[in-house]
Amino acid sequence: MQKSIGIYIHIPFCAQKCNYCDFYSMPCADSDFMRTYADALIGQIKSKKRLLRNRHVSTIYIGGGTPSLMPPEYIVNILNAVKSTAVIDQNAEITIEANPGTLDGAKLTAYRNAGVNRLSLGLQSADDDELKMLGRIHTKDDFANSFAMARMEGFTNISVDVMYALPHQTEETLYKTLEFVAALEPEHISFYGLKIEQNTPFGDDEEIKKALPDEDTQYNMYMKSCKLLESHGYEQYEISNFSKKGYESRHNKRYWLSKEYIGFGPAAHSFFDMRMYGYKKDVNAFITGYADENALIDEDYTLTNRSFAVQYVMLAFRLRDGVNTAKYRELFGREFDDEYLPRMKVFIEKQFIAKTDTGYCLTRRGMMISNYILSEILDFTEG
Amino acid sequence: MSRQDKIRNFSIIAHIDHGKSTLADRLLEATKCVSAREMEEQLLDNMDIERERGITIKARAVSLRYEADNGETYDFNLIDTPGHVDFNYEVSRSLRACEGALLVVDATQGVEAQTLANTYLAMENDLEIIPVVNKIDLASADIAGTRQEIEDIIGIPAEDCPAVSAKTGLNIHDVLEHIVTDIPAPAGDENAPLKALIFDSYYDSYRGVVVYIRIVDGIVHAGMKVRMMNTGAEFEVVEVGRMSPFGLVAANELSAGDVGYLTASIKTVEDTRVGDTVTCSENPTDEPFPGFKKAQPMVFAGIYPADGAKYPALRDALEKLRLNDAALTFEPETSIALGFGFRCGFLGLLHMEIIAERLEREFLLDLVTTAPSVIYRITYKDGTVKFIDNPAMFPSPDEIEEAAEPIVKASIITPTDYVGGIMELCKDRRGIFVDMKYIDKTRAELHYKLPLNEIIYDFFDALKSRTKGYASLDYELSGYEPSKLVKLDILLNMEVVDALSFIVHADKAYTRGRKIAEALKDNIPRQLFEVPIQASIGGRVIARETVRAMRKDVLAKCYGGDITRKKKLLEKQKEGKKRMRKLGSVEVPPETFMAVLKLDSEK
Repeated sequence: MQKSIGIYIHIPFCAQKCNYCDFYSMPCADSDFMRTYADALIGQIKSKKRLLRNRHVSTIYIGGGTPSLMPPEYIVNILNAVKSTAVIDQNAEITIEANPGTLDGAKLTAYRNAGVNRLSLGLQSADDDELKMLGRIHTKDDFANSFAMARMEGFTNISVDVMYALPHQTEETLYKTLEFVAALEPEHISFYGLKIEQNTPFGDDEEIKKALPDEDTQYNMYMKSCKLLESHGYEQYEISNFSKKGYESRHNKRYWLSKEYIGFGPAAHSFFDMRMYGYKKDVNAFITGYADENALIDEDYTLTNRSFAVQYVMLAFRLRDGVNTAKYRELFGREFDDEYLPRMKVFIEKQFIAKTDTGYCLTRRGMMISNYILSEILDFTEG
Repeated sequence: MSRQDKIRNFSIIAHIDHGKSTLADRLLEATKCVSAREMEEQLLDNMDIERERGITIKARAVSLRYEADNGETYDFNLIDTPGHVDFNYEVSRSLRACEGALLVVDATQGVEAQTLANTYLAMENDLEIIPVVNKIDLASADIAGTRQEIEDIIGIPAEDCPAVSAKTGLNIHDVLEHIVTDIPAPAGDENAPLKALIFDSYYDSYRGVVVYIRIVDGIVHAGMKVRMMNTGAEFEVVEVGRMSPFGLVAANELSAGDVGYLTASIKTVEDTRVGDTVTCSENPTDEPFPGFKKAQPMVFAGIYPADGAKYPALRDALEKLRLNDAALTFEPETSIALGFGFRCGFLGLLHMEIIAERLEREFLLDLVTTAPSVIYRITYKDGTVKFIDNPAMFPSPDEIEEAAEPIVKASIITPTDYVGGIMELCKDRRGIFVDMKYIDKTRAELHYKLPLNEIIYDFFDALKSRTKGYASLDYELSGYEPSKLVKLDILLNMEVVDALSFIVHADKAYTRGRKIAEALKDNIPRQLFEVPIQASIGGRVIARETVRAMRKDVLAKCYGGDITRKKKLLEKQKEGKKRMRKLGSVEVPPETFMAVLKLDSEK
């Protein structure tokens, strides 16, 4: 049986850079530039024919940036290029990220016709003051309109991004946002904490940093939000992700399950054949040089069996289901308990890690300090 | 002209950054000893730490030849001096080896404190002082104002003093001529028995100790049997010579007025204490050169390797440093919290910091240093008396008949404007006012009796900040006095951390305990569980803080499949944790021990 693969396509254009974001993007370019970029992407996708012939594509994720800023026909062209290069599963999950305020009926119809069946909408907050502070270009109402439009165009799998731990955010404004989102009944909700990154406007803003909720408030925000979402029928399947039954993001799960994926476009990352690499964050270099793969690559690692095993554990613990010890044995030929139980003991005793029928998982309290736990139990020197 | 008439022995006094080293370089250049190309920047300051801190830690000396305008050739001996209260004694010895001093003042900054302190020392030693106004190439230079200031504040004539730019070399000739005309020639008796002052020494693995000396009277040459008058050690001289800018150059003999070195297969600088007098064993001088003091460590702290396996490496490193530093002492000790380490004795806090820094930098050791302590004298109920330099050994209150602490006589010289602030500071540090004298219209000298443990942490810093740096401090131990001393214990998660215990006066215990608990709270990262921090005296808790349990440490997103980034982040986190010290069940970064010391006394 052929192996499956996920495809990530990066669209690095934004109307305006958000104050917290350190993903790779550039200010909105004109339509000609975007066409040139789309052509470069198509060229790169086609250049991977040899690899893609040996895989079947089970997910495609068009992320950004703001993919919905691109004229929809380019998106259609890109997807057509994938279809003509690779075999795509009948039931493949095909997602596009969109920002409220950048959508219209024509775009949505075009996406649908091209096979896009999942929409990821970046709301972040339903509080207009918070949105403004984040540097978002839309309001709560813009979002509501976009959401309704997507439903009318037949999107039955919509994900909404919400953030907590925002500067000046209170528990009250956060829960109001979540109630608002839950009432719209999207199939999926990404719920993640703001992290202040260097080299972003927030990164240098001491006032903003001071306005962040303290650690205990952030903890309460997370715990209560998880319960709130559960009470609305959302199940947590990963540290930051919740969904209605059957609507987990298959693309994102590929990352956590260490399954293969290939990325196209600047700053995109790939993992297949035990190799991980990422492209440079440079659109222009990408457009002029996409044909010369080696010149584009920024980081490139070949995993050993051991380093792969460490990475596998690191990622699996993000999932509610955690590490499956039988699977671990099958993949790496080693006993998970032998390696990890001594180091996990203290966390199990303090109920940060729980035993499951198939292995181990982080409890919700454990998820909240997963960096700490992972940095304790993983032994990077092995890899 | 006699031989001594053509010798000039001098040092350079300057505030940090006022250009002492640059001027020294120019003098070296101008005397044609060193070409600009050959010259390594700032020859006199050798150690990295000296350059970075802009201070000279150990004295160095160099001999130069200068052909003066009068056609005569002179031997110049330039002796460099350290510049911190911890090393006041060393400075005074270096100055005693000279007849004059160049006082370098930055024409853009004017007279500053460190300059004053050492100038006063030079004046006490009857040195002829030549002011040198430096940095006149800068646009903001105020030559006339600086000269006036030198006359007003220091009280020496500066009207005709050289104004130079050590950077560009402008008017350096002027300085050289002033050295010839203004600084007196030495006037020793060549025919008298040998009397030579040791002003520095260092250990060289090939020659043994190289002793820097100023010959006061008599002659010294290879083969002579010499005696160190204070330590009593005797040696046969192997070599004598001078310090050229390029290294040691052997000579047949050194005689009265000369500055040079001798070697005598000496194994340790213990035998060649700064300030001691070298004389001829067979025909000794009657009186040693006055003013010898044996360098006594006054401040003690535990030094531990961050990685316990590095204990032997730490011992080797300390042994190497001691070869060159007779004031450094150390002996093994163990701490429940920190494992195996050494209790080390230092002249003062700066000396301690320098040693710690050299251990880390030159020997690549990662260290944990505990709070510095002085030596307390404890009289037990049964009448026995013990001296205790480690707070962990301090007995419980019911065993103590009397506790006594070392007291120093401190002398502070300051512009009169700051007298009020200094008095306040001394009062806060339990000082007892002795007297105050006005040296002249602008300067006062205050005398205080102060407990040593009040001045070892940050007294000098507090003094500087209250006097804009103008005050100078000198102190000497005057003895022990009974005091209400208590041992303050720090408990982390209900367990006493011996390395954090310290001794404090009962009246200050509560404030100190509270501040330390607060400082610990700010320095200890959140742990998996809540960590109570308690300060206690004899089992009674006087302050409590809590480090709350870690609640959130999570990466929300995974950046579009950028797994490497997450992995690197976790790896970094793991690396950071390796530095942590485990105190019972609590993980503490090594800086914590020092942070506890740096409680801001101004608050």
